[in-house]
Amino acid sequence: MRRWLGLLVAQAVLKGLVRVAVAVLVAAAAIAAAPVTVIAAIGFGAAWYQGWQPRRLLIASAWCVPMVVTWLVASGHQPAAVAYDSWLAFWRLARTGAIPRAAATIAPLAVPLGLVVGGLAWSYRIRSLSAGAGGLSPASSVAFDQRQWRHQARAARARIAAPGSVPLTMRDDLLVVGAVIRTVGQRAGQLASIGYQRMRSHQVIVGTTGTGKTTLLLRLWAGFMATGLRRHAAGLGPPPLLVVLDCKGGSAARRIADRVRRVLREAGARSTAVWPDEASLSLWTLPPRQLTTTLVDLIEHGTGGAAYYTDVMEALVGLAVEAPCGPPGSSQDLLARLEPGWLSMAYASTGTAADHAMISSAAGHLADVALRYRTLFRRLGGGLDGPGSFECADAWYCILEGTDLISVAESQARALVDLLASFAVRGPVKREILLAVDEFSAVSRRLPIWQLYERARALGLAVQVSAQSWQGLGASDDERRRIAASAEGGIWLLRTPEPEPIAVFAGTRKVVDTTRRLARFPFWAHAGSSRVAERPVVDAGLIRALDVGQAANIYRGGVTYVQVKRLVSAPAAVGGSKAGPVLAAPAGREATDLTEAGAAARMPTSGRDLAGAALPDVSAVLDAAFGPERPR
Amino acid sequence: MPSADIHAAGLVFTAEMYGVQLDQLAAAVGAPERRAVALVARWTNAGLADAARLGPGPRWVWLTRAGLATSGLPYTAAAPALSRLAHLRAVTAVRLALTATPQFGAGKAFWRSERRLRARFGRKIGLREHIPDGEVHWPDAADEGSVTKGVAWAGECWAIEAELTPKTLTKTVAVMREVLARTGDYGCPAADIAVPGRPARHARVIYLCSPAAWPVVTRARGALGGMAAKVEIRLLPQGAQYFPHSPPAAAHGDPR
Repeated sequence: MRRWLGLLVAQAVLKGLVRVAVAVLVAAAAIAAAPVTVIAAIGFGAAWYQGWQPRRLLIASAWCVPMVVTWLVASGHQPAAVAYDSWLAFWRLARTGAIPRAAATIAPLAVPLGLVVGGLAWSYRIRSLSAGAGGLSPASSVAFDQRQWRHQARAARARIAAPGSVPLTMRDDLLVVGAVIRTVGQRAGQLASIGYQRMRSHQVIVGTTGTGKTTLLLRLWAGFMATGLRRHAAGLGPPPLLVVLDCKGGSAARRIADRVRRVLREAGARSTAVWPDEASLSLWTLPPRQLTTTLVDLIEHGTGGAAYYTDVMEALVGLAVEAPCGPPGSSQDLLARLEPGWLSMAYASTGTAADHAMISSAAGHLADVALRYRTLFRRLGGGLDGPGSFECADAWYCILEGTDLISVAESQARALVDLLASFAVRGPVKREILLAVDEFSAVSRRLPIWQLYERARALGLAVQVSAQSWQGLGASDDERRRIAASAEGGIWLLRTPEPEPIAVFAGTRKVVDTTRRLARFPFWAHAGSSRVAERPVVDAGLIRALDVGQAANIYRGGVTYVQVKRLVSAPAAVGGSKAGPVLAAPAGREATDLTEAGAAARMPTSGRDLAGAALPDVSAVLDAAFGPERPR
Repeated sequence: MPSADIHAAGLVFTAEMYGVQLDQLAAAVGAPERRAVALVARWTNAGLADAARLGPGPRWVWLTRAGLATSGLPYTAAAPALSRLAHLRAVTAVRLALTATPQFGAGKAFWRSERRLRARFGRKIGLREHIPDGEVHWPDAADEGSVTKGVAWAGECWAIEAELTPKTLTKTVAVMREVLARTGDYGCPAADIAVPGRPARHARVIYLCSPAAWPVVTRARGALGGMAAKVEIRLLPQGAQYFPHSPPAAAHGDPR
């Protein structure tokens, strides 16, 4: 028994002695290599304070290589001898009190070595804690992660605060969004950027009100416009077209529209049209068959027995739109065609027997159909009665009153998307189109955006959908999943109370999960077991706690947390003229004179702006100078 | 025209048009070509201009740095580019034809040349902006009564385009749209170039085409839809031709 107890004591003493010896040796080495130790400590401390990755210290060390090589070449001896001589010289000078000179002597050697040692030590610290093996308790890793997040967020905020530190775009068609806070499964860097081609793919943005969603969107739109225009100027692609559907409406939408216009101007956009306040579009430019479908879809229909009336309405609208005399040019024109007798007269000479049969059988419903369309056009206003086309401006900001007039906003959204799809297919000039639907939930009930999503790429059209929550992305879970799954350009997550359904799209990653044995609370032993486990790439808790202006970008199984840089636009012009409608009437159409009082304000400020408006005849002077014009 | 007036008018005209041929200079100053030759000889002796035979037809004259300084025009002195000679001649012919009309004088109109428009950009000329070959400004009538003496289109600004070679339809349509949609002056801030709702800068654009370019320009106007009414198309005047059948160059001699 005594021998056994003696053995235990001897074992403990021996362990203690070994530990003391190791500590003494490490301390001696640290003191002997004091310059390296100091630099390593500084590097470690800076990395901890700024939330850097160890790679950054190692890269900094690599940048010292030219200095070391120059120093060795200048010394002209064997590297080992030079290092040893410098080390001796350092201590000799330090003993005499010439500390700055001593530091300068050893710096070429100590700085790179110190950075490497600091980087390795910092890497060890991070890895041990993320594996759950480091720290005094298993909770240490959690506290460490939270502390590091605060440090990283602070550093990112400092980076974007420096004037000029975050450009809008960079070479290789990169759009800079802000400063990187943290990355998981993606390359870390100082600035968070996405390629232009990602802006040409679908994107989803989810974040509650007041989290910086508009700031992020503005940045993305301005970057898209600047890069697209630059590429066009370089002959690398067609000019860009940005179409924003702001489905909130109200005065806030007007303020944002003004901000968008100013930001886009500075990004190079020459004209931003605000619909329907200052510009209008013409629904009547749609091809007749498409126009029929759109007009029928604009009106809400019932199901079951009510489907009969839908069929009747579609037949009558089809007859009115596809009449032998050509499609209607305005809402008034369509309503005039839905008067009794007009259809019979229009089809009298060229209509088929089937047309006449349809007219006579559906004539009883004509007044009801006309009433519904009269009501619809009154509610829609003159914004879709032209003149104007998407080609007339670099950007369109369309304000839909989705907050107080949901059904109107739904119809307007439907019409605008149909117009845009038609423009993408049949437009006179090819454009790289980005359709951004803000507050999509307001119109998601009747805007089948996922249908557009799936065929939009072929049209050269990218769709960017933003909502306040996962539920706002669609009416059903299936629809929401289809939208999110098609977001090849990435998903932007800002603070939202339920990020889990979206975080799933980032997938999982393999991590080392370690359990530690509890010795006696509050002490845990450094013994236990580890296993490889799957952990979500996106930390849902972190998303819930994101600050204003912070966003997570999910892309290709990784996530980058970004501190978004706010774009500061030029102040609004004092007393500047209010912009009016787009100048050009669409091809083949004349400008429509709207009868609504509000529409008068939307007319051009100058009579000569309207295409074809009464311009004085100048034939006299031109004929005198150049002779008469050839017959047209 | 008195000699001093001819001297000044000729200098400014030559500077505005980059460079002119002797026959066009004579037409511009309203003097026989023989007198224009003497005028150019005076300029070259004084170091105000250079003259040389750059291609078929009469000699070309352009101002030197001293000539531009004398004219008070802030342009960079350079000989007309050989690749642009035909175009320069065409534009000058258009200007001469237009200024010769009675309406031009009655309306007190003035020609703003491409060189002047380009000079407004300084060194920041944008890659994307199309600059017309000239602008004709028709000043507003001073009062109601004077309208009867002026022209009906007083207050308008016209863009002038001389088209010698046919371009693609897309390009021509794009140029027409850009010119007609422009609201700001040349050299204005980017934000003012085309602001929806503001009055368009050019009330109309006048295309002067060669027979080869005529079909494309006409089709482009047709593709404009409602804006087509703002595009006028005429054939280039006779004097616009770049003397492909002119006598041998040596016959004119060289003053230098």
